[in-house]
Amino acid sequence: MRAAALTAAAMATFAAAAQAGRSCENKPPSVEAIQRSMQLAEHTARRLDQSGAQVVMLARRGQNLDEYRLRYSHLGWAYREADGRWRIVHKLNQCGTANGSIYRQGLGEFFLDDLYEYEAAVVIPNPEAQAKLLPMLKDNARLAQLNTPAYSMVAYPWATTYQQSNQWAIETFAMTQEPAAQTREQAQAWLQLQGYQPTTLHISALKRLGGRMTAANIAFDDHPNEKRFSDRIETVTVDSVFAWLNRSGLGGPVQVIR
Amino acid sequence: MNKHSIRRTLASVTVAALLTINVATAKAQSEVSAVSVLSALPIAVSVAAPVMILSAGVSLSVVAVEASATGAVWVLERASDGARATVKLSAQAAGGLSVAAGTVVVVTAVSTGWVLSTASRAIAFIPNEIGTALLYNERVTR
Repeated sequence: MRAAALTAAAMATFAAAAQAGRSCENKPPSVEAIQRSMQLAEHTARRLDQSGAQVVMLARRGQNLDEYRLRYSHLGWAYREADGRWRIVHKLNQCGTANGSIYRQGLGEFFLDDLYEYEAAVVIPNPEAQAKLLPMLKDNARLAQLNTPAYSMVAYPWATTYQQSNQWAIETFAMTQEPAAQTREQAQAWLQLQGYQPTTLHISALKRLGGRMTAANIAFDDHPNEKRFSDRIETVTVDSVFAWLNRSGLGGPVQVIR
Repeated sequence: MNKHSIRRTLASVTVAALLTINVATAKAQSEVSAVSVLSALPIAVSVAAPVMILSAGVSLSVVAVEASATGAVWVLERASDGARATVKLSAQAAGGLSVAAGTVVVVTAVSTGWVLSTASRAIAFIPNEIGTALLYNERVTR
């Protein structure tokens, strides 16, 4: 009984904490945050222009993930429009919900998101991969094709129950590179064949339990039991995608922009 | 209470206590890619003014605020000479912002445009040509 009461009290605390999450706050940003985010967008556009690329993988540092030995938190595919402007397509999780949607935004919007550090990272796919990607990135029906709205930040890379942002980006990449990869299962099979390896996060049972109870956008039930119960949570991270693109020759080295 | 249930109760208490501590870490596993903060910040879609009144450090008074389905229109007046500008803001976020007539806003010039703020909190961004090229927002899937 006492335990139940304590749990209930603790749950109430979590609910409040979950709602007070950094990105869920709708408070006006500071003048400096806008200035620095827009400046990073401007610097990024300039560097991308100079790169000669038509399509790049672009990442931001939205959170401090040092604890997991990760540097970047979120990525998308940026491409150059006919008028020379850069647009980025990426998947965003609506604050406080278990749903995600695909957006096409400017570089300004991409960085105006309460960054942990004003730093961007770019990997340029090889020219052949870029050529296959470019028409798809302009085609909304193709962008939606492999999107699963059910969102979990730590979605298992080899399941289709949920889908997080970085996972959508690489599955869509697979679809553009391999004509036979037209479903999520097929895209994941191609990623495995190409040697993609997700990051293994060591998250204890208590943290997992806390995550599921406090946030709509965290779930662990898509992970295989043998991994889940040994505190190994595999998911698609920016750092693992960058390493794979470089290792496989599908992309070049990471370029940092500040 | 038998031995088994005592152990279970203690375990539950421990879980409850630890969960409170672990909330922050659980959330930090990867980014909560929430809809951009920018959506909370009105972006000017047009500015009409007989003279250029946007420059660094200038104080402007909001003399009129009109909300409509397509966005909001603010009429700003420069204190020094009464010159006015009409700023049309995107509908996206203008509704969530409470700016009333009489509010004094400060202009900060940045390389991509001008930031309007009150007490160092930004309330609107007016992009220049460079800034306009960097801004776009389209929801592709529902």
